[in-house]
Amino acid sequence: MHEMSVALEVCRLAEERLGEATDTLVALGVTVGDDAGVEPENLAFCLEALLAEPPFRGAEPRILREPGDALHLSYLEVTDDASPDD
Amino acid sequence: MPVRTIEVRERVMARNDEIAGRVRARLAAAGVPTFNLVSSPGSGKTLVLERTLAALGDELRIAVVTGDVQTHNDADRLARHTDQLVQAVVTNGACHLDARQVETALAAIDLAATDLLFIENVGNLVCPAAWDLGENAKIALFSVTEGEDKPSKYPNMFRAARWVVFTKLDLLPHVPFSLERAVELARAVNPDLGFLMTSSVAWHGLTEWLSFCRARARQGVPV
Repeated sequence: MHEMSVALEVCRLAEERLGEATDTLVALGVTVGDDAGVEPENLAFCLEALLAEPPFRGAEPRILREPGDALHLSYLEVTDDASPDD
Repeated sequence: MPVRTIEVRERVMARNDEIAGRVRARLAAAGVPTFNLVSSPGSGKTLVLERTLAALGDELRIAVVTGDVQTHNDADRLARHTDQLVQAVVTNGACHLDARQVETALAAIDLAATDLLFIENVGNLVCPAAWDLGENAKIALFSVTEGEDKPSKYPNMFRAARWVVFTKLDLLPHVPFSLERAVELARAVNPDLGFLMTSSVAWHGLTEWLSFCRARARQGVPV
């Protein structure tokens, strides 16, 4: 039910990590535990909608399932001209 | 174009939990016990609070932060019963309150002049379970007009709560609801739960609840 809030937070984390380089994002992986209280398909749908809009340019959301209640942004895939601030 | 992977592994709730920690520290420093009331829509959160404010308003300074998806209706209802500030948060579609909204709402509340703070969450047994608001404890309201199996259907909420307040007990003779079974199912997901029985419309229907509130207000029983 709160998948959109979760998706917004995922995008905020991605933006924070990428800085100005959000347009280089190709895909992002989100780990969703079976007991995280998040519906994976719904989350993917929300992420697709958000990632289609600026500052992103159509990056692909990938949902990674695992047991437990984990809910985290696992990785970002960027084209090589990205300059993330980490 | 070559693609590079950046490992992140950052918890999605990390930011909310960080703000919730800040809120909790602030409330603790001010000595204000805080309860996050959660339940399905229509289980009677606002009415319990209305009656509580009406009954205890003279002896305790009770402040309320109330969240609704749309409208200020609940805040308006509550404001009639108290001089303390009732802060309304309209979530504009979001299904829960988050810690940032509570932190913002607290800015308008004089915590030094508050003995007890209630946060009335959005009516929803799913999402509010996952969002820490910085409260001392969540209290789940559970009306006898609902299914007894709510704890089995929404285990995360009943795990997150410390107390269950059964509401609308005046309707018990008219509905096929077994309190015993409901308590049993709630204990099955969380053996540490405490239970209170209430009716907001019956004579003395809130006696136990009001004693609970009195006992836990500022400098009362630690929560």
